[in-house]
Amino acid sequence: MTSTVWFWHMTAVIHIEGLRKTFRTMRGGARVALNGFDMTVEAGQIHGFLGPNGSGKTTTLRTLLGLVRADDGRMSILGHPAPDALPAVAPRLGAIVESPQFFGNFTGRRTLRLLARAGGVPAERVEAVLTQVGLRDRGNERVKAYSLGMKQRLAVASALLKQPELLILDEPANGLDPAGIREMRDLMRELSTAGITVLVSSHILAEIELICDHVTIISRGQRVATGPVAAVLSGFDKGEYRVRVADLDRAAGVLTTAGLPVTRKEDHLVVADVGDAAWIAEQLGQRGMWVSELTPLTPDLESVFLQLTNSAPEPVPTRQVDEAIQPGTIDLGVQP
Amino acid sequence: MNLALAELSRLLARRFVQLMAVLLIAAFGVTVATTVASTHKPTAAELQRAEQEVRVAEIQLEPLRQNCEQRSPNLSFCDAYAQQKPRIEDYLYGVFIFSDEILDLVYFMIAFLALFAFLIAASFVGAELTSGGMTNLLLWRPQRITVLGTKLATVLAAVLALSIVASVLYIGAFYALAEIGGLPGDLDGEFWSDLVLTVLRGLGLVLFAAAIGFGAATLGRHTAAALGLIATYAIVWEIGARIVFQVTEASRPERYMLSSYIGAWMAGRASFYDQFACTNGFGSLCSREYELTWIHAAAVFAITLAAIVGGAFATFRHRDLA
Repeated sequence: MTSTVWFWHMTAVIHIEGLRKTFRTMRGGARVALNGFDMTVEAGQIHGFLGPNGSGKTTTLRTLLGLVRADDGRMSILGHPAPDALPAVAPRLGAIVESPQFFGNFTGRRTLRLLARAGGVPAERVEAVLTQVGLRDRGNERVKAYSLGMKQRLAVASALLKQPELLILDEPANGLDPAGIREMRDLMRELSTAGITVLVSSHILAEIELICDHVTIISRGQRVATGPVAAVLSGFDKGEYRVRVADLDRAAGVLTTAGLPVTRKEDHLVVADVGDAAWIAEQLGQRGMWVSELTPLTPDLESVFLQLTNSAPEPVPTRQVDEAIQPGTIDLGVQP
Repeated sequence: MNLALAELSRLLARRFVQLMAVLLIAAFGVTVATTVASTHKPTAAELQRAEQEVRVAEIQLEPLRQNCEQRSPNLSFCDAYAQQKPRIEDYLYGVFIFSDEILDLVYFMIAFLALFAFLIAASFVGAELTSGGMTNLLLWRPQRITVLGTKLATVLAAVLALSIVASVLYIGAFYALAEIGGLPGDLDGEFWSDLVLTVLRGLGLVLFAAAIGFGAATLGRHTAAALGLIATYAIVWEIGARIVFQVTEASRPERYMLSSYIGAWMAGRASFYDQFACTNGFGSLCSREYELTWIHAAAVFAITLAAIVGGAFATFRHRDLA
């Protein structure tokens, strides 16, 4: 990479390029976790990071945060090379990786105070973040008495202590009840509004779709899609409509004759390659068939994710964790 | 400094540390209680009888000394006669004599403190590596060597502080016991300097044990790794290899045992007897005895520390953390 290009990437909050990591076992075995992975997160984004189990999400985040040594590749955080410059960047960075373990005998408040002390953060921040994550009134209870969701809130609170510019959250909704998930979503939006860039990995795809404006999908250690959520979804939009009429067989014949791919379902038709929905209504109406439903079938993130990572459930045999597709990167969106 | 204070808070709040401290206090308490139960203030009658026995002993020793001086003054037992000075304390029974017994009690205390230090230092880092606490900390302070070094320094400082306090209280308790329910004995300057030196060496051994426990747990990423290392060493080397050395009639086998150096360190020097030496004649030119000193021990401790603690830091610097 030339110095010019590198400088250009310095505007990205996170930039990962060609990241490789192979875990080797004592017995000589090897498992490729990251195989030339690329990712860019721009300032102000809420960036979703998706991938099946074992695809390399946590390894990517751990490598970025200096917990795992990369075999190859380049990374930068907040314009500084990682992991070498992490000590300089750490005060501007908040992160939780998987479910962090806190000392069970400490109270939540004491846990945060110790972290604040270790990181040179003013003690007043402790109360602020406890309030922010909804633990203010439970802060004096021991962590071992916390539910999984409360521990997760505590983890987020610890990441927020430093008032970070960049927040990296690995599965922040783990263990949260529906109300907690909604609060976490609202919190991320608040943070984003306040100018904090958020990188969030999650398996709850509906959540990612609701809160993230950009997304990167990883499969078998490589990026398979990246870009704005809408762009990623539109790449999989086949122009399909659900058509419901009284006489399905006759309607299917009409539309097929017109050259449209039609799939007959139990109580409706799925018509693809539809340019103008009104045309369907017109064609069927002219033949005396009145359309009771004409709904565009837009792909959701879950269906896109399952297609991209080949991780849709199969009846038999059970798909193994490493059987996601070997990707040719599908780049659907804005590239830095 | 902030990091060190935070680490100290974490160390002191650990349930395991608190439990070990209670066990330590209990062990010391039992030792003191046992001594209290087995001692009494000598009565005037006992003192009088002891004085009489001292006089009798002096009378019995005198002709032996004179005999030695006239016939064979260079024999070792003559030296012993010359130096032997019967004391009242030697003829008092069931009385705790501080000057006579405190060194053995200090060895006992050091052994307990070393075990305590080894276990809490190993668990302090081992539990954090296993639970992800270390990962948490490194997300806050992404400086591995600083974080691990602070952790080690904190646990060493805490162990040292606790050992000093424990030593003072322990020795003070036995001194008070001797004053109240026994006899202090001969407490001259030489006694106190020997005692202080023994305690200082003991504190060094305690720190050594703590550092080894910490290093082994870091290398093995688990508290159990440190325990496994000690158990394996004790069984395979101290017992197994000793048997092999015996069978193969190896020369001076004690030189290869860490326990020999621990003994030499605490006592200043340790003498050993090689039963397989001098089997080929040359009688007077060959000595079956050999000696290890505290200097040898210091060198062995330094090499062991460099291997285990140095290895721990070197691997931790580049290791992937779960």
